[in-house]
Amino acid sequence: MTDLSAIHEKAAPPTGDRKPARRAMQLLLGVPVALWQLAFFVLPLIFLVVITFWKVRNFKLEPAFDFGNWEKVMTSTPFQRALFYTFEVASITTVLAMLLAFPAAHAIALRLSEKARARWIAFLIIPIFSSYILKVYAWQVVLSPGGIVNVVLQWLGLPAVDLLGGAFSLYVGLLTLTLPVVTLILVFSMMGLDRNQLEAARNLGASGWQVLTQVTLPAIKSGLGLAGVTAFLMSFGDYASPVFLTGSNPPTLSILIVDTVKSGSQWPRASVVGVSMLAILTLAFVLVQVVTQKRKIGGV
Amino acid sequence: MKRQIDLSRRGFLGAGAALAATSTLRWSPAYAQEPQVLNYLSWPGNADPYLVAAFEQENNCKVAIKEYVGGDQMLAVINQSPPGSFDVVLADAEYLHLLKEADFIEELNPADYPLADYWPEFQKFPLHWFDDKLYAVMTDFGYLGLSYNTEVYKPEEVSSYAAMWEPKATGKVGFFDWYLPSMGCISLSNGNRPPFDIDEAAFEAVKEKLFSLKPQTAGFYTIADIFSSLRNGQAHLIPGIGEWVTLGLRLDGAPVDTILPAEGGIQWTESMSIVKGTPKADLARKFIQYTTSPAGQVAMATKADNKKSIPSIKGWELLNATMPDQAEFLRLQMDKPNVMDDWKAGRVALRQLPQQQAIEDWNDVWSEMKSL
Repeated sequence: MTDLSAIHEKAAPPTGDRKPARRAMQLLLGVPVALWQLAFFVLPLIFLVVITFWKVRNFKLEPAFDFGNWEKVMTSTPFQRALFYTFEVASITTVLAMLLAFPAAHAIALRLSEKARARWIAFLIIPIFSSYILKVYAWQVVLSPGGIVNVVLQWLGLPAVDLLGGAFSLYVGLLTLTLPVVTLILVFSMMGLDRNQLEAARNLGASGWQVLTQVTLPAIKSGLGLAGVTAFLMSFGDYASPVFLTGSNPPTLSILIVDTVKSGSQWPRASVVGVSMLAILTLAFVLVQVVTQKRKIGGV
Repeated sequence: MKRQIDLSRRGFLGAGAALAATSTLRWSPAYAQEPQVLNYLSWPGNADPYLVAAFEQENNCKVAIKEYVGGDQMLAVINQSPPGSFDVVLADAEYLHLLKEADFIEELNPADYPLADYWPEFQKFPLHWFDDKLYAVMTDFGYLGLSYNTEVYKPEEVSSYAAMWEPKATGKVGFFDWYLPSMGCISLSNGNRPPFDIDEAAFEAVKEKLFSLKPQTAGFYTIADIFSSLRNGQAHLIPGIGEWVTLGLRLDGAPVDTILPAEGGIQWTESMSIVKGTPKADLARKFIQYTTSPAGQVAMATKADNKKSIPSIKGWELLNATMPDQAEFLRLQMDKPNVMDDWKAGRVALRQLPQQQAIEDWNDVWSEMKSL
């Protein structure tokens, strides 16, 4: 199977190797963003790691080189429980988001007219630019015991249901956060599909399932990886849904960071939790890259 | 140059006066040297124009507030700010000994303040005096017990904290996400008086009892979510909160109330101190005098977003003369059953920091409870 991105790469016009000045200028234009990343991501990250070794005395940070914070956090039961729970929640959200987004993305990218597709893409983009916190609060109103769902159930003569404060409300909140983004990534991936390939597969007698598993999925594996890792990253680090839709019961790692700072201004210990989260997210990102890269090599 | 500074100050105060009736001035480090700005470190809402406008007008000044949520945050702010950053601090009384030990607050002259107007029980409030010297003056107080949904529970059903362990409360016990009042009520329910001065065996028993409530738990709420969870029915019982939450909700028509169960309740106390190193000790003293005056006390009791009890009898008298309906609602009537009855009956223990364990030990238990 030929990978589309590989085709693009092969077909790409030669970069300005023969025009070094132009190439240097193109690189130079990227410098501001690189500097920005250095100043506002790399340096704070280094500082965050450094702080994990500092101490708190009288509610003030004091430079030190002490592994006590790492020991305290890593051996604490609440941290271990929160780590496991956050991982579980992020994994389930990723699976749910992918399962729900894929058919929708497939329909939008491959079944709709160009005009209808543009409308649906706009429908998916708009929620991303509206306040997530506001949406979480709106879900509180909808799902609470005295909320809209229960009012409707009561009106229909049905018994009330307890929707707020458990797994259901948590995943509703996290899918509100992740689903539009995941769907969009998959839509854009599928829009790059070569429809002639799909048509050819069908003409050669491939079933719908075979087309999906042997043509569509391999061709969009990078998009699938990106969509999955995005859903995982967003839900792993989310604070609002676990706090406002489950009442921190139980706490995720993000909640643990806030709790750690609240009690005794323990910024170093909170930084340990933060650095651990970043390490896990980096690992997840690299894993997905390796897996998709491997498939890509096998596919070409 | 000096003229320019004066002009700027006048301009600033002019603008401040125009805004005084409608807005709260937020603290900035730049105000430390400004003689007509009182820098006030306090719980949110305590520089509301309803509380401070009259003082500002009388003294031709502005009150700039730095708000904190929780004693730990208050200590963090004051520790991290240079001397002179704040003139007055309003703190929960249980944190005063930490402020005193760290040398953050000034000794006060008792003669400067209307302590003689206070209920006798509060004239020499134990958490305000160190070595027989006064360091803080009480501005307001309230009780914490068991708040409940009145459509689900009758008062007699919640006459003991044991109601929280009943099958009826499964998944409906909410908690204010702060170890101190929440664990204080569990300690009371275990028969510990005072609830925060307990030995290791009693602490272990409190821990076990707290953990046994986990299957009953609806959630651990921020201040905003305490209000919404009680109102929308997510939580039917919340220990460790009180009328500071339920009075306002009831005024809005929510079916909620607070009871001091048979095992007792906890008193929270807010107190004002002058911050050491202030160049404006005179203005700071006047602010505390105003807040503890009858007019200041009435404003404190009747503030729309957070209704409180007040320790000044003269404040009670003024409230009854000017706002009798509020006095009745707040149970601050002299000749009727009132909030002092609970205190006099010995049903209320002071909220204090843990006496025999480190704060961190209690916090760790709370974190574990949340993560169960």
